[in-house]
Amino acid sequence: MAFDSTLKTGVSRRAVLAGVGAAGALAATSFSTPVRAQQATLRWWSPQAAPAQREAYLFQIAQFEKANPGVKVLFEPTSDEAYAQQLAAAFASGQVPNIVTHLPSFAVQDYWAAGLLEPFNDVITALGPQNFYEGANRIYEIDKGKYAGTGVGNTAANMLWVRKDLMQKASIDAIPRTWDELRNAARKMQGGGIFGAPLPYGRNSMTSLIFIGVIHQAGGQVFTPDLQVGIDTDKTLAALDWYKSMRELCPAGATNYSWGDSLTAFVSGATATGIYAGRVLANVTRQNPGIADSITCAAYPTISKDVEPWTFNDFPSVFIPKAAKDMEMTKKFAAHLFAPEGYIKQLLAAPGHVLPVLKPIAADPNYTADPIIKKFQKEVDLMAASAAGGYNLGFESAKHKPNTKGGKVVNSHVIAEMVQRVCLNNENPKTVLGETAKKIEEIMKS
Amino acid sequence: MLLSSQYAALGVLLIAPTVLVFCAVIVYPLVSAIYLSLFSIYTPTLQGKWVGLDNYAKLLASGEFWGALRVTLVWTIGTLVLQLVFGIALALLLHQNLVFRSLARGLILFPYFVSTVVAVLVWRWLFNDLYGILNHVLLAAGLIDMPLDWLGQMPNAMVSLILVGAWKYFPFVVITVLARLQTIPDHLYEAAEMDGAGPVARFFDVTLPQLRDVLLVVILLRAIWDFKEFDLIWLMTGGGPVTSTQTLPLLVYRSAFGLNEMGGASAVAVLMMLVMLVFMALYIRAQRQE
Amino acid sequence: MRNRSLTSRILLNVLAWSIVFVIAFPLVWMILTSVKPQFELFRIPPTILPQEVTFEHYHRVLVETPFLKYFRNSVILAVGTTVLVIVIATLGAHSLVRFSYPGRERLAQLVLFTYLLPSVVLIIPLYLLMVWLGIANTLFSLMLAYTTFALPFALWLLRSFMQGIPQDLEAAALVDGASRMEAFVDVILPQAVPGIISTALFTFILAWNEYLYALVLVNTDEARPLTTGVMNMLITAFNIEWSLLMAASVMMSLPVIIVFALLQKHLTRGFGAGGVKG
Repeated sequence: MAFDSTLKTGVSRRAVLAGVGAAGALAATSFSTPVRAQQATLRWWSPQAAPAQREAYLFQIAQFEKANPGVKVLFEPTSDEAYAQQLAAAFASGQVPNIVTHLPSFAVQDYWAAGLLEPFNDVITALGPQNFYEGANRIYEIDKGKYAGTGVGNTAANMLWVRKDLMQKASIDAIPRTWDELRNAARKMQGGGIFGAPLPYGRNSMTSLIFIGVIHQAGGQVFTPDLQVGIDTDKTLAALDWYKSMRELCPAGATNYSWGDSLTAFVSGATATGIYAGRVLANVTRQNPGIADSITCAAYPTISKDVEPWTFNDFPSVFIPKAAKDMEMTKKFAAHLFAPEGYIKQLLAAPGHVLPVLKPIAADPNYTADPIIKKFQKEVDLMAASAAGGYNLGFESAKHKPNTKGGKVVNSHVIAEMVQRVCLNNENPKTVLGETAKKIEEIMKS
Repeated sequence: MLLSSQYAALGVLLIAPTVLVFCAVIVYPLVSAIYLSLFSIYTPTLQGKWVGLDNYAKLLASGEFWGALRVTLVWTIGTLVLQLVFGIALALLLHQNLVFRSLARGLILFPYFVSTVVAVLVWRWLFNDLYGILNHVLLAAGLIDMPLDWLGQMPNAMVSLILVGAWKYFPFVVITVLARLQTIPDHLYEAAEMDGAGPVARFFDVTLPQLRDVLLVVILLRAIWDFKEFDLIWLMTGGGPVTSTQTLPLLVYRSAFGLNEMGGASAVAVLMMLVMLVFMALYIRAQRQE
Repeated sequence: MRNRSLTSRILLNVLAWSIVFVIAFPLVWMILTSVKPQFELFRIPPTILPQEVTFEHYHRVLVETPFLKYFRNSVILAVGTTVLVIVIATLGAHSLVRFSYPGRERLAQLVLFTYLLPSVVLIIPLYLLMVWLGIANTLFSLMLAYTTFALPFALWLLRSFMQGIPQDLEAAALVDGASRMEAFVDVILPQAVPGIISTALFTFILAWNEYLYALVLVNTDEARPLTTGVMNMLITAFNIEWSLLMAASVMMSLPVIIVFALLQKHLTRGFGAGGVKG
């Protein structure tokens, strides 16, 4: 009995796969037909869903629903560590969200290369390409003339945050510019329950992303401009060496740190320096106002003054899956996300963290009047400038071709594993680096 | 079984819903999994090509699978032994006449029933390097002079996992053993006492043999469940540092969703089932021979 | 049971209660943390008892987050799974114990075999199945998925319970002219009630606490239960709010505490009677 049904279900498994394919094709043809009435439910995913941000999103949704009767928008949070598998399941089933925001750009490139996304050109046209910052959309132009998505903001994710009061106490007069200076400063400020830095050594995306930055700060790169694996160099070894030497200046638990832990360590006053984006400003203001007057930020130090700083910008994105229903309405909603009132509310839910991609917004008095933006004008300007010149693994430098496997490399944790093996397990850096390069090559081939 | 044989049709009817659900949600996915393990499949698109046994060949040749198997065995045996020792000891203790005995029992059983998510959150807060109470208590007591890194280093991470696993699951042993203890007739103890057996001898001569059947089942069940454990390890360490606590289920999950290789992931899962099957067969056989 | 001196009894009690305290401490700490103001958490050294008790975090979890929605989902999910599984498993276990037909033994073995299945391997095929049935992303799809681990467990437990019910009772009822189903309802079911309650409790708790399926199979807030909801909501890249997490944890554990406090006796007794036989 059991075996009979086994056979039957074995057949229907293929039918299911075929069914899913057909559903995708159906969905693909459905947006050429006119949108039927205005009855639609749009699903919106984002990993950025702190309470204040959620509030801003709900405001944007309410505005949109009012302007488009019969349309309902559901906001559904995902997370940095879980989005990959949730989207994989969604794509596999064809039950996709209509719009996804705030994922790093390399994730978008990955999905685009797999043919899962709707070109974003219509929305960019609706927003006016001239309103974007120069070059803001080039990372999404993987195939000539077609955009996989666009930025919903900019983030300078690896700023060096420092406490001026602690610097003064340790008689350090300038914000560190090189690694040696930073290490010395961290050492001087460490003590009395305060650690030097909250660098991440966990097996997670933060460690991978931060360390990719450190490689560049050593003058190295992960891929060459024509996307050959170029990580196996002395520069990466220098980066590993410095990163390892910082271990004793970080809290014991840094071996498991990810964004949240690292941020909380600096904000709560447990570390003298921090490495994060602009959210520090809002969190310090709310959770630890006592140090709010003594914090400032700078570009993260590099190996020497000859190497320019390298800012990691994850280019928080917005994109539309190809299989999304109600495509016209979805595109309309995507454009609505950038409507000044709601977009500014969204940006100000974490002032200085997600920075505007549209020039008119950055200059809008409603945006600049925010008390935190005002108080930290210098820091916000610096982050905006750094982010504008920032890169990530999907796009390592202006010379690089867009790398559609960047997301895979990050999500495979090979780079974080390399950091852990060298810094925590004391394995031979040369051997580890060689093996890592091989693993990355395999990922590129697959 | 006299009255049973005449009603075969009714019996089949009663079991039919079970069989139906089994086929739909267990047999079918299982067959699919085996089928998928013969392909190379990109998870989001589910597009794959036939690779035959390549996935298996690759796995058996790679250190990753064997490493994960070793980690899984260390974790399973470590936590299982602690669960049994704590479980039996606590059951014996709770069998005594205590004040507020039922409250004590309730509190002891609670870790088992609380959600793994809650357990992990609480323990991660206890283990926290900067604000965790555990480090402070140990520092204050002079047992350590630097905060311990509970989850980020080896062997700490594995030890912490095993301890939390034991904390979470030993109540299962307590429940079952306690229930059995209550059915051991008093006269057995009295007879042993008459023969001059002390408390330790009484435990080994009377209690343990009486518990044997229960323990055999408990060990089998707990071994299987610990072997498959995903939530606790995933939420606690995520498999780190590096892959030191990456058990087989985590490897499956990571291949399927981190690397989007559904086929390779299915192959790991199938191999994992085979390992369990072999162990279970050996165990049952040993049990029968005794 | 036997005579003991007073001192040894006091010692025993002190020992036992200290162990109980150590085991329960994480849960006590969870409650204490949840009522401390946020700034007190980051104090070094930490305070043991809160210097100021606040319920602000509870308020924030309830008002500012979709906690209540997740809570509702979890209730529906756990109750639904329990009902579904108990109905099917009671009938199935009865059939396995009291009837004989070809393939019965093999079926019982199959039940044990399904214990081996790691959930991770069933997930994608299950999700495809749910889509195909048109129920993906619903609570019902999760209920079905939960039967993969709950049904074998319930069946196995109930089977051993029912084996403990004497044959002659049913035989007597049949002699009195009852049909098999009448005998089942009138004689077997009342006897099996402790076993059913205990099995239901276990199923409820398994479903309430499940994480992995919920993580992968459901990606809409409309059907997201507490386990994944709370993780999603509060462990984020921008902040880890321990006080909120602890408050959410306390509230998440409440139903389990209540169920447990009310039915502990049933649970222990029932489970023992069923589990011992193997």
